[in-house]
Amino acid sequence: MTATYKNDFLKEVEANVEDGQWVKMCMQCGVCAGSCPLGPHWQHSPQKIFMMIRAGKREEVLTSDSMWMCTSCYNCIVRCPRKLPITHIMHGLANYAHRLGLAPKGQPTREIAKLFWDNIVKTGRVNELKFSLAMYFKDGFGQGVKNAMAMQGIGLGLMKAKRLNPMEMLGGHTCKDKGGIHKMIAKAREIEDRRKGLSGH
Amino acid sequence: MTAPIATNQTILVVGGGISGMTAALEAAECGKQVLLVEKTPTLGGRTAQLYRYFPKMCHPTCGMEINLKRIRGNPNLRTMTMTQVVAVSGSRGDYKVTLKVSPRYVNENCTACGKCGEAVSAEVADAYNYGLSKVRAAYLPHVMAYPQRYVIDASIVGTPEGEKAKAACPVNAVDLDMKEETIEINVGAVVWATGWRPFDANKIQPYGYDRIANVITSVEFERLADPHGPTGGKLLRPSDGNPAKNVAFIQCAGSRDENYLRHCSRICCMASLKQTQYVREAWGDAGKSTIYYIDIRAIDRFEDFYANVWKDSTVSFVKSKVARIAENEANGNPVLHGVDTEGYHRYATEHDLVVLAVGMEPEVTGVKLPADIVMDSSNFIEGSKDGGMFGAGAASSPLDVNRAVQSATAASLKAIQVIHKNASTEAA
Amino acid sequence: MADIKYAAYICSGCGIGDKLDVDALEKVATKEGKMAVVKSHPFLCSTEGVDLIKNDIANDGVTHVMIAACSRRAKAEAFTFPDNAVSRANLREGVIWVVAEGSEHDEVRQEMAEDYIRMGCAEIKKMTQPAGNPNKAQSKRIMVVGGGMSGMTAALAAADAGYEVVLIEKTAKLGGFASNLLKRVPFNAPYAEAQPTGVEELASKVSGHAKIKVHLNSTLSETAGAPGRFIAKIAQESGAIAEETVGAIVQATGFTPYDINKLTELGGGQANVVDQAGLEALAKAANSGAIKRADGKEVKSVVFVQCAGQRGSGGNGNGQHLEYCSGHCCATSIKQATYFKDANPDVDTIVMYLDLRVPGMGEDFYRSAQEKGVIFTKAKVNGVSGGLSGEMSCKVNFKDLILDEEATVDADLVVLATGQVANAGVNLDEWTATVTAAESGDAAAVQRKSELQKISVLNLNYRQGPDVPQFKYGFADSHFICFPYETRRTGIYAAGPARRPMDMFQAMEDATGAAMKAIQAVENATHGRAAHPRAWDLSFPKARLEGCTQCKRCTVECPFGAIDEDERRFPLFNEERCRRCGTCMGACPVRVISFENYSCDTVGMQIKAVNVPDEFEEKPRVLILACENDAYPALDMAGIQRLTYSAFVRAIPVRCLGSANTIWITDALNQGYDGVMMMGCKKGDDYQCHFVKGSEMAYYRMSKIDDTLKQLGLEPERVQTHEVAITDNARVARMIDEYVAQLTELGPSPMKGFG
Repeated sequence: MTATYKNDFLKEVEANVEDGQWVKMCMQCGVCAGSCPLGPHWQHSPQKIFMMIRAGKREEVLTSDSMWMCTSCYNCIVRCPRKLPITHIMHGLANYAHRLGLAPKGQPTREIAKLFWDNIVKTGRVNELKFSLAMYFKDGFGQGVKNAMAMQGIGLGLMKAKRLNPMEMLGGHTCKDKGGIHKMIAKAREIEDRRKGLSGH
Repeated sequence: MTAPIATNQTILVVGGGISGMTAALEAAECGKQVLLVEKTPTLGGRTAQLYRYFPKMCHPTCGMEINLKRIRGNPNLRTMTMTQVVAVSGSRGDYKVTLKVSPRYVNENCTACGKCGEAVSAEVADAYNYGLSKVRAAYLPHVMAYPQRYVIDASIVGTPEGEKAKAACPVNAVDLDMKEETIEINVGAVVWATGWRPFDANKIQPYGYDRIANVITSVEFERLADPHGPTGGKLLRPSDGNPAKNVAFIQCAGSRDENYLRHCSRICCMASLKQTQYVREAWGDAGKSTIYYIDIRAIDRFEDFYANVWKDSTVSFVKSKVARIAENEANGNPVLHGVDTEGYHRYATEHDLVVLAVGMEPEVTGVKLPADIVMDSSNFIEGSKDGGMFGAGAASSPLDVNRAVQSATAASLKAIQVIHKNASTEAA
Repeated sequence: MADIKYAAYICSGCGIGDKLDVDALEKVATKEGKMAVVKSHPFLCSTEGVDLIKNDIANDGVTHVMIAACSRRAKAEAFTFPDNAVSRANLREGVIWVVAEGSEHDEVRQEMAEDYIRMGCAEIKKMTQPAGNPNKAQSKRIMVVGGGMSGMTAALAAADAGYEVVLIEKTAKLGGFASNLLKRVPFNAPYAEAQPTGVEELASKVSGHAKIKVHLNSTLSETAGAPGRFIAKIAQESGAIAEETVGAIVQATGFTPYDINKLTELGGGQANVVDQAGLEALAKAANSGAIKRADGKEVKSVVFVQCAGQRGSGGNGNGQHLEYCSGHCCATSIKQATYFKDANPDVDTIVMYLDLRVPGMGEDFYRSAQEKGVIFTKAKVNGVSGGLSGEMSCKVNFKDLILDEEATVDADLVVLATGQVANAGVNLDEWTATVTAAESGDAAAVQRKSELQKISVLNLNYRQGPDVPQFKYGFADSHFICFPYETRRTGIYAAGPARRPMDMFQAMEDATGAAMKAIQAVENATHGRAAHPRAWDLSFPKARLEGCTQCKRCTVECPFGAIDEDERRFPLFNEERCRRCGTCMGACPVRVISFENYSCDTVGMQIKAVNVPDEFEEKPRVLILACENDAYPALDMAGIQRLTYSAFVRAIPVRCLGSANTIWITDALNQGYDGVMMMGCKKGDDYQCHFVKGSEMAYYRMSKIDDTLKQLGLEPERVQTHEVAITDNARVARMIDEYVAQLTELGPSPMKGFG
């Protein structure tokens, strides 16, 4: 995808991505890129992504798996000489790409995030057992069994330490007002979408 | 001490570095009465602690010799060292200034014969070498010090060491009973040439200045290169005294960084480019310098210097703000981690020595100045609201020596304008 | 004239009395030095010691004082007697601190000290305390050439300090380049928004100032004279010539933007490719509305190309344009980009830079433009096309250095940030060559000469040419870091972009500084004093014209163009232009030039006063002539650091190595000295000589001394010239010892015994 060097994409990012208005403030020093503990796994460093946004490389940015690598360690924010909230921008970009359906398929961070979300919104509590199993079996039954066998020792250990309860398979624990939680989440989404100028998801 | 005679026709210059000396001399050579006060025991300021200047690679003490000669020969200019301004009241054309004079414990009799220094065995950190070495507690601040007079460090006053210094002096110059004095004077205009200080590198935690022996600052590197410095001019690294042949220079160490100094300190790019040539001077083709930078700011004909360094095969450039420095514990080498942003290349590079090109912070940061003084967001002095006090040199903006002297020359004329107005009002 | 009485005062303090036989020194001063009064004191710089001297001056008729104590660099305040000539014999830093300890060195140490006493006595007998130039100049008016921001600032600054000002502006109105700007970059916190230029307010202040006289539509047809007495002929629009007498000159003639048409590779010459000045015109025409191109199309996208035709091959363009960086252009483009953003935030505004150079608080201005949405791209621009009139948009081809790929962007308008070219007048090297060729009848050269006269700003009638010497790239800058206002034409100070590429803030500060120096120059000239670096020196060169052979060496070699020729072709000294370096004195083959307190004799007699042992004593003698500003302090500091060097040397400080006359060398060799060391400052492009060319002249003269040595039957090693820096304390001590060893190897001078 060739760069256009028009501001369209930058403006789109500013309008739709959390803290996107900071992208233009980067001065390309690269301290974020060097500070990231997962840096070597990034195809494009944050500072380079900012440059790509300014260059108008919409598809390349939004389909990139780079921002999905962020583990929120905040090293980049602490060190950025221009005080860009880089971590937030990365998550914002990922979220925007996800909303647009451009996020890379099968990207593990995204998968785990989705499973975690689906898991927690159901009851308002994380069901560790179901979450783990969902992870193991996400690539099919056969692979799931293999994964579960491989993690057997840890699972037993967790059970012994009372950190994992097999009874959780049967519905599991929940918060007091499940309906209330659902309402709260719906409301939060509505507010966020309104803030980003979107109408629904 | 008797208070110097000063009137509303007197210009007070605060700070005896090159800007203050210049502001004072320019006015005094026009026939104006000038009082130059300096906080430390000698004139010269930070330029006296530099080995060479960019871009000519000449020595700062050369110009200092001329300025000192001008000062020695000028009847209109009086200097007071170990003196600070503690309060200013009044307004343009008529200020009352309170000066605090710290005891030097050595009076005007001193001939700088050095006997006291020989007699004393106690040592203190040598401020001239930014504490990289020690000096006897009775000392001449440096070989070009003016006044050429020893100082007894306060730490040995009241000890047998102090008495040894006193006993050794053949001309009764050591006076251990000197006390701090406060003096009030009247002046017409004030030039604040209070200069700068290197930004505290300890604050830049990822660079490990406080933890890694072979991470030093650019001002310290000047002392290493200087034959009058702690290593006699040899580029030896602090951890083990081994030759520092592979040297990294990290630009914007504190500058252009909203976590530290939001301004660009202007001089650091040229200073590092210059210092790469110290490495070449010391080791020839066996030396190696790497400059890690955001933008190389080699303005006007300084560009020539940059172009020449660029061509130097021993120097390489990486467009990157270094993220962090670790230490290779086996050999003490600092290891630089970061990303070369020109095309996104990750590096982890080992060097013998790392020089942090630390930024310029106004020396008055944290100091209570007269309320009328206007400063910018980085504490550089713009002047006073009443138009009778002026910032000059690096106190007014991060400037190289040449521009600082320009600024000081201009400030000197602004002060003369105030004095002139006084004189014409009185004549009328 | 009152009777002359010489007195010698020898200090025995600081260990001098312990290391030396002071009684013997007194005898030398009395018997050989022929001093009428000889006294020693254990602490001569004390109030009591100084009073002893003062008392002798007041009550005993002492007129000339020889002080044998520490170096002339030490205790200068104590040993200054304003009405009396003073010479200093350096027994401390020059003898006891540098001669090795131990009784085996007692003899040579004492001999060294006695020689310095002899030398001090010999010198004082040839010295007169200078009384200053009797024909003092009178004018304290300041002439400012150029009515732009720099010139107006200089004029106001001087006028507000009480000095009358004459301002010359070649156009019909004040304002200069700044008049064409919509706004300027901010000078003060918060450094966020472009500001009104203030040029009109400044112009009205200047026009209305009681002490400023403005000549519009005027140029200088001739400037004659010297500081304190310049006579400026001002050619006016009417053709009339006005004449003004002024004391000093500030040259604030500004700059011209580099010719954009030469930048064809970046689209220069195409209608929709403008320089920064062109953009200001478009922005002014827009009157805070949308900025339009020349063809009326509203600009929706603009690209700024930084370093256009600047920074040699490190910038943008083919590397064939300007080598330097103009410093202001990054901030100027930032300002101009905000013109677009302020009028319409939707305009695509890209600044393509290689290194963004906004030092100091400029960083805040950079941030503020980013906040407004200006996009900064680190890019090397390969070319601009499609900018011809009528075309829809320009194409900028570039390499994005961060994304590491070639790219193209369309833009309605391209702004090239071109450099500043100094309006500094005539290049004197070209002038000299042209004049020489013209004098030999070359018709093209005659033509060129008259063209150059038209280019000239000042039209000085100086022998060395009509303008101030240019330093580099055509700018009239100083070469000194500590002394930015150093000038090779005393009393004439360049300011603003004529001196160095700079922005408006710096230009205004620079102009204020230049006004300061101009005021100082008139004060010095009217008091008959020297200007920097020998400020307050009242001596000036005097020539015995009856001995002059009209060889012109002095007029050619004077680094400051102080010497013209009179109608009889004799040198005509303009004392107020002179900086007292003595290069003329060193240049004069017949030794007719001298100063009252510094002459061929003051040094020559010192050389002759030294007691040169015969060849059987195995005590070589080496003469050192050392620049008083760098080499001599280095020798001094070797002493302060107690480094030792051979006691066989005898050092004499000279004002500048350029003042060293070859007669001193031949005198020394004739007298049986075994060697001569000349120590001066660095020469060449990065020269460190404070008199610019003095040391270079000395090296040049000494390069020709081999013939003399051959005539005398001496080896070339017997005269050496060294570049010595002020920090060379250790090196200088080592050099001396090595040279003495070399001479010992070489054997004694065959001239011994013939002197």
